[in-house]
Amino acid sequence: MKKIASTLLVAGTLASTALMADGAITAVKVNTNLDKVSYNSGVWKDAKFSSVTLYPQTTIKFNDKKANEKNAEPKAITAEIAAVYNGQRIAFMIKWPDGTKNVQYAGRTDSYADGFAVQFASNYSNPKELPYIGMGSEGRQVVIHLQKETVKIYEPNGNGDVWHQVNPNQTHLFGKDLAAFNKEVASIGNGDYERSYVGEGFRSMTEIKDGSNNSYSRIGYTGNGWSGTLSRDMKDAYVDLHADAIPVAFAIWDGENMGRNGLKYLTGWTSVELKKGSELTKALSGVVGGDIEAGKQAVAENCASCHQITPADAPSLMGPSLTNIGGYASADYIRESMMKPSAVVVPGYNRNAHSAYAWYNLEDGKRVSTMPDFSWLEAAQMDNIVAYLKTLKAEVK
Amino acid sequence: MSKRQLAMVMDLNKCIGCQTCTVACKTQWTNRNGREYMYWNNVETYPGTGYPKNWMELGGGFDAAGDLQEGIIPNLEADYGVPWDYNYDALQGGASFEPNIEPTWGPNWDEDEGAGMFPQDNYFFYLPRICNHCTNPGCLSACPRDAIFKREEDGVVLVDLDRCQGYRYCIAGCPYKKIYFNPKISKSEKCILCFPRVEQGLPPACAQQCVGRIRFVGFLDDENSQVHKLVHKYKVAIGLRPDYGTQPNVYYIPPTESPAKFDAEGKIIEGSTRLPIEELEKLFGDDVHHAIKTLKAEMKKRKETGESELMDLLIAYQHSDMFRLDNHYYQQVAHEKGRHALAPVDTRYIAGKYTETAHKMNFFHGGHGEAGGHH
Repeated sequence: MKKIASTLLVAGTLASTALMADGAITAVKVNTNLDKVSYNSGVWKDAKFSSVTLYPQTTIKFNDKKANEKNAEPKAITAEIAAVYNGQRIAFMIKWPDGTKNVQYAGRTDSYADGFAVQFASNYSNPKELPYIGMGSEGRQVVIHLQKETVKIYEPNGNGDVWHQVNPNQTHLFGKDLAAFNKEVASIGNGDYERSYVGEGFRSMTEIKDGSNNSYSRIGYTGNGWSGTLSRDMKDAYVDLHADAIPVAFAIWDGENMGRNGLKYLTGWTSVELKKGSELTKALSGVVGGDIEAGKQAVAENCASCHQITPADAPSLMGPSLTNIGGYASADYIRESMMKPSAVVVPGYNRNAHSAYAWYNLEDGKRVSTMPDFSWLEAAQMDNIVAYLKTLKAEVK
Repeated sequence: MSKRQLAMVMDLNKCIGCQTCTVACKTQWTNRNGREYMYWNNVETYPGTGYPKNWMELGGGFDAAGDLQEGIIPNLEADYGVPWDYNYDALQGGASFEPNIEPTWGPNWDEDEGAGMFPQDNYFFYLPRICNHCTNPGCLSACPRDAIFKREEDGVVLVDLDRCQGYRYCIAGCPYKKIYFNPKISKSEKCILCFPRVEQGLPPACAQQCVGRIRFVGFLDDENSQVHKLVHKYKVAIGLRPDYGTQPNVYYIPPTESPAKFDAEGKIIEGSTRLPIEELEKLFGDDVHHAIKTLKAEMKKRKETGESELMDLLIAYQHSDMFRLDNHYYQQVAHEKGRHALAPVDTRYIAGKYTETAHKMNFFHGGHGEAGGHH
């Protein structure tokens, strides 16, 4: 009896950790122009900052040996995030600690930039079926705005301009003309790495290049951390943010640890409330019921043969690693993945990279997950598993 | 998997390390726009550090189970070498000859050093390297953005610069380290097998300029191409480091001839050979034994009878035999894909499997009725 009581007690403490999921971010209505907002803008004085934790992406592992060594025991990072809107535009600011300022240089092959990204779901009418957190999923599109700290980058063949790519020594120019040519070339470079993308899952991400996104993003290093801002139209061709609450996800990259692409820290879908008390907030940060200890047991029995569960377990190529699933996946997503494994199929690795471990098969052009359906589990057992998986996340730095 | 595969064979017995291929490639593609440090084609001394430094120890490629292996991305200063220049213009004004930066490392830093003790048993040979346009490319498999693709029509591996985001996993994934990061444009770039030349009837610049005539170019499925004969018929051309599991499509005729060793008195040790077979096994796998056996047998046959198709082929009499491109095929592909078909600028080398059926294509010959090809 005593034993059962102590188990319950442990479960109770763990459960309360699960309860402390990040809450909502309150978007403050302002009357200011939000066309071009930077981290210095006065508008942030009126904003309400909330602490949000970003967890290291450990779902899939990359093939860069040095980077993997540097990120062997990743910790989570807490950022301060605020949002303001004026009806036409909405702006976000994210401040995160980073002891080193990392810029991507044009004369080095081994420099990686610090940066951040903000992700929106194109369709969020059903908070239980949001796009996959990592760049969306098939049929569930996301829009991503990226900004990173680079020196001037010269896009290849920008505007079909081949003339300026010629080696200066191979032009017919001399003296002043050559100097003018070099100056022209220098003026083509762009030091602002702001990019916007649409994505329906890993590897589908495509840059928006036709100017159909009206966004503006800035990044600046201040002492011991970064401040990044994004302002965008509340409605464009990709997303309509006129709602009581919108799901937004944030990611940051640490260039010091060779961060780029999936080597990043990310939040789960976070509710940004334009009005207090929305269904979305409840869905994303609500209480996860269930017995964590029983869930742990059930996960060991049902999931661990294909998934890595904790960093102490051997990595598995059979399925996504779950070591930080509690940090960036919502309870509804975890539940959906077990009930309908093919609803959202994480494409995972490039299929050529681990050909013996396909995470999905293509049937009539549709991705069908190789994971079996777990909808046969009893509802209570499912709750236990979700409750346990929600506890799987790295400690905060 | 591409429908057809364009391939190159390099005869290492004939490479004199003159770097003409390197210069041909550099002036054509990599002397500008952040590519200055890159050598899409390089010729390194083997044994040696190679380019980039110790590339064989930097990982990438696949294990026996087909899983992509972790790799290390080389560093510009330490492993590739920062390109330097000299103050030629200032010399007239009396300045002393100085490099613009202090060179600390560069390709061929250890050129011609080789291994062994001079004069007893020192040895080396030259190893020219381009992208292997692998059938199972490590770079392609490492890319999380699907920015690298293998052309269906000829198996050339290319980077889609529009999709590439400069993550550099491809460099870790390529066991040959033949894909490079261009920091000026923040994208990866690599040898393109001179596809714009090939489509117009010209062999890759490195192959055409080679003074030793060591490079053969053609489609592997074209039974009349010399690459097919060397790779499939005689099996004397082997991919570099087949153990990396990427199935490379640049093949090498292993060096078969090396001088005998000297003893302490400087006398020839009869029957000895300076080039250790273990080194060749490391580079080309066990198939190297069969290749060397065939080469030696054919060499002997040629000496004794004056006849050997293989030896004639390796002598490389005519460029038009060594390069067998397939213009009609490229025209067809362009037509099928709704692309603009490129007119050939040189018809001498276009005599591939499908071009032969198009004898009526009179490009330059003005009624001659023969679309290139030396028969």
